[in-house]
Amino acid sequence: MIHRLGVEQMADKNMTPPANLSGITRPGRGIVVVKPKDFKGTLHRLWRLTKGHRRGLGWILLLSAFASGASILSPYITGNVVTAVKEGDAITLILLMLAALYVSEWLIKFLQQFLMAAIGQRIIHHIRRTLFDKIKTLPLAFFDRHQHGELMSRLTNDVDNISTTISNSLTLLLTYGFTIIGILVMMLCLSPLLTLVSLVGVVCILVLTKVVTKHTKKLFAEQQKNLGILNGQIEEDISGLSIIKAFCREEEMEREFEEKNDKLCRVSIHALIWSGYLMPLMNVINNLCYVAIAVFSGVLFVNGNISDIGLITSFLLYVRQFTRPFVEVANIYNNFQTAVAGAERVFEILDEESEPADKEKTFSLENPHGDIVMDHVQFGYTPDKLVLKDISLTIPAGTKVAIVGPTGSGKTTIINLLTRFYDVSGGSITLDGHDLRDYRMQDLREVFGVVLQDTALFNSTVKENIAYGREGVTMEKIIDAARIAGADGFIERLPKGYDTELSQGGAELSQGERQLLTIARAVLTNAPIMILDEATSSVDTVTEQKIRRAMLKICEGRTSFIIAHRLSTIRDSDIIILIENGVIAEKGTHEELMALNGKYALMYRTQSSQTVERA
Amino acid sequence: MKLILKYLRRHIGIFLISTMFLTMEALADLLQPTFMSYIVDEGVANADVHHILFYGAIMLGIAAAGAISAVMRNLFASRTSQTIGREMRRDMYHNVQRLSLENIDRLQPASIITRITNDVTQIQEFINSMMRMMVKAPITCVGAIVLIIIQTPKQAPTMAVVLVIVSIFIFCNMKIGYPKFGIMQKKLDRLNGVTREFLSSVRVVKAFRAEDEETEKFDAASRNLAMANKEALRVMAVFTPLINLTVNYGIVILLWISKNQDSGQIGRLMASVNYMTQVLFAVTMIANVINTAVRAMASSERIQEVLDEVPAQTVPQTPLRTEIKGDIVFDHVSFTYAGAGQESLKDVCFHIPAGKTLGIIGPTGSGKTTLINLVPRFYDASKGQILIDGCDVTQIDEKLLRTAIAVVPQKALLFSGKVSDNLRWGRPDASDEEIAEAAGIACADSFIRKTEKGYDTWLGQGGVNLSGGQKQRISLARALVRKPRILILDDCTSALDAQTESAVLDGLQHMGGNATVLLISQRISTVMRADYILCLDNGIVQGFGSHKDLMAGCRIYQEIYDSQIGGGANGR
Repeated sequence: MIHRLGVEQMADKNMTPPANLSGITRPGRGIVVVKPKDFKGTLHRLWRLTKGHRRGLGWILLLSAFASGASILSPYITGNVVTAVKEGDAITLILLMLAALYVSEWLIKFLQQFLMAAIGQRIIHHIRRTLFDKIKTLPLAFFDRHQHGELMSRLTNDVDNISTTISNSLTLLLTYGFTIIGILVMMLCLSPLLTLVSLVGVVCILVLTKVVTKHTKKLFAEQQKNLGILNGQIEEDISGLSIIKAFCREEEMEREFEEKNDKLCRVSIHALIWSGYLMPLMNVINNLCYVAIAVFSGVLFVNGNISDIGLITSFLLYVRQFTRPFVEVANIYNNFQTAVAGAERVFEILDEESEPADKEKTFSLENPHGDIVMDHVQFGYTPDKLVLKDISLTIPAGTKVAIVGPTGSGKTTIINLLTRFYDVSGGSITLDGHDLRDYRMQDLREVFGVVLQDTALFNSTVKENIAYGREGVTMEKIIDAARIAGADGFIERLPKGYDTELSQGGAELSQGERQLLTIARAVLTNAPIMILDEATSSVDTVTEQKIRRAMLKICEGRTSFIIAHRLSTIRDSDIIILIENGVIAEKGTHEELMALNGKYALMYRTQSSQTVERA
Repeated sequence: MKLILKYLRRHIGIFLISTMFLTMEALADLLQPTFMSYIVDEGVANADVHHILFYGAIMLGIAAAGAISAVMRNLFASRTSQTIGREMRRDMYHNVQRLSLENIDRLQPASIITRITNDVTQIQEFINSMMRMMVKAPITCVGAIVLIIIQTPKQAPTMAVVLVIVSIFIFCNMKIGYPKFGIMQKKLDRLNGVTREFLSSVRVVKAFRAEDEETEKFDAASRNLAMANKEALRVMAVFTPLINLTVNYGIVILLWISKNQDSGQIGRLMASVNYMTQVLFAVTMIANVINTAVRAMASSERIQEVLDEVPAQTVPQTPLRTEIKGDIVFDHVSFTYAGAGQESLKDVCFHIPAGKTLGIIGPTGSGKTTLINLVPRFYDASKGQILIDGCDVTQIDEKLLRTAIAVVPQKALLFSGKVSDNLRWGRPDASDEEIAEAAGIACADSFIRKTEKGYDTWLGQGGVNLSGGQKQRISLARALVRKPRILILDDCTSALDAQTESAVLDGLQHMGGNATVLLISQRISTVMRADYILCLDNGIVQGFGSHKDLMAGCRIYQEIYDSQIGGGANGR
């Protein structure tokens, strides 16, 4: 390959083809270089991480070394051809050599890219899988701390970037490294004086790049920030459009949008214009260099210092491709750094602490009873703020427990501790006489059938959603569970009944219907301990009554925990616990608590007071 | 494509100027090797230093002109692409604001968001690169070939063959490659979908010990994406080097044909070789431009869809602008959601005089929210009509109608900004006292004041820094600030504990005064406060009247009553 348009090559790299496959992102524009914290260490880890998955990478590196051969040799051969033509010598042999050189270049490039496609993707898949395997073992605290979007971009973008950019940069760096050295040697052999001229050009270009990118970096960061602001508003406005309409705020929102939109436009133009100076200026220097060499070599030839016209040809061709690798190497190195920084973000996740591993000696949980004892339990999501201060409770197997209390009093936290989504900070919780932490996590969670506040459904059929997490469940059992939960009615009304695809993750169902499905899911587990965290809050009371009856049926002989706002639903629990400010304020049956005439009684009366007056 | 052209046409002047500079830039590049050949043929061959310097100066001048053109071209191209991007975003946003909720349901909010953000950026990039390359590549390509043929006419057939072969390769690359990129995109979407689902349901995954199941799903999606990527990359791996090889062989043949070249014209030969390499780059540029063009086309289709969406609701020709008092009549109203098979409301009839309160109760999915959505015209009735003060709502001026109504939705939607800004949504000219008063009634005043900055507290997107109950109270206060004629409360106290709810409802009763209130609730004790109660089931009115009437005549109402109050320890 002979590069006529040294710098222009950069321009066509600017419009990287589909989906950033080349891995080389627009040099000099738009990209904010992120410096990795521990460059060497991260690379070392990456090397270890990909162990066993980079078969063939050695070949690719070898090929990239060869790939530089063509760029180094072809100008020389072309020069020889020109000399031969001028002297009237036979050129068939040299041309055959050139032809052979091109064929081998083609073969090398093809093999390199073809192999890379497989290896690169294999490594991406491996890293992604490793990352996911890690993520799924992380404790809930991790998911509470991180935004979904952030984790998503780690799993897709960062991983992609690591592999494509690093492998591509590596091969390119190798190729260019060899090219620079090779060409330099060739040029020095041809004419040290002319080499000096072109080296001056290279230095000028490098300095210029440094100066301009230093300025554009800030501008692009600014552009990125404004884009974020605008996208934030778009997201907020579109998802809240009904409220905007209800309050007739269309015009105000549009004005706000316009402001942000204009700001972004202004900033972007500014950034683009500045970065746009780089290329033409480099072209000028490049051309100056070219002209200088053309003139210089011409003069030298006339004066008889150079005897070979082909030498001039070769040299002119060399100059064209000599500057390019220098500029590219700087860009590639920047990309490389950004990718390594991305790898660091991935490693950050891999370094997170997983859910505590099961102890070596664990107790089996084959026939759990459901005796639960909480002994001076303390817990806080952050060490400085305790949510549960001192909870002690003894719950014999088969007890129906209701937990009530104002919002934020720590009701859900108790559930989180029971299922070991979090571990207690102080005190202990025992199940059938052993600390929860002395069981295998898998076995422990098997003991609980839970219906959580968030009605998470999956993009699969209704049937699969009910049988979630369980394999080989018969259709009868699924239908039974749905019937017990009172979900069979609406399921049968769906277009395909139990085989209906919930293509939007359940968004096509009403909140209540979604809740019924998650209840059916819990029913199907047939677990010895049932947990209902506000499970019926968005179901109407008639349906709720049905569910209550069903729950009573399946709770028989089981320990159960119910959290509810509506006190009417928990009246017949065996024990009602009122939690306030992280401690148990009142405890007893409905009748006992009403007789106590404390906070519970007050809450209960408020909820049904008007009823009593009017009825 | 049509869309892009339409926007380009608005900036045709700038576009043409930019194209002119681009052409000059290309010509400058094209002229260099020719003058280089003069240096060789006239200067070097004749040992004439004067000539060498002369042509060198000319080359410098051309280089300078080229650089200036490039700077100017960049100036105009950046301006055009960014301005068009801005206009597209603005037009889309503007149109979306005018769509009714029915349209939004159909297009899906998430999809609209990506269209306004990603797709527009895609087009912007395309226009920018088009104004950088698209014109330049053909000029360079054609120019270089023409110059080769002019200088050495016998090269013409070689050039033709090279061009044909390269075109075939580019065509094949497209034909085979693009479907593969399409597949790749789909697999990527799938992987994102699976990941998002896992992340948002992580509690359930853990509680049901379904980690392995999720891993399998993720593994399959990731593997499929890797396979699709590999396939697509391999197509590129086959064709890109082939295109290079063809042009390089063009050079070999060119040299071979020139083997008998007159040694006096050696400079021309050198120039020809140089031109061939220019052709090579122009060709790769064209391949790239086609790549981006295809992606931009897909984006422009998605944008066009949003722009073409016509609001599902019609605006009356001569809207009525009478003052709204709040008398509401539903006259045989039926409603079906677009795309849904069955009716969500069937033949609903009732009348609420101005200033009265209607409590609406009924099982989940019975159509309560649907019913109240018809009043402020979020949707229009499929059959029958809704009359406010005797006028069909579809005939009333939309702005007037919605200003008279305040809605408190089930899910409290707040916007980023100060608490007071959010509250002023109700009425921009509300005084601080009015706002505090409304917040007081909604039991929001006390907790707002407890925060460090009070009413100036900044809310994050969607009010992330508030609890569910706090959001509901602010959302309620926002509606009260408006002092509406019709107040719609859609089960908006569900996240409040019983005491707070009771306090809120008491407050409402005292201030509500002369506003008509539509109140949805699951709690019978709440609806019992109302003047009229409407009991819905399956979209059909099961009972309408006072509590006593319904207790006497409506079975479902009785069931609800019994479930909540009847048989209780301190019931009747």
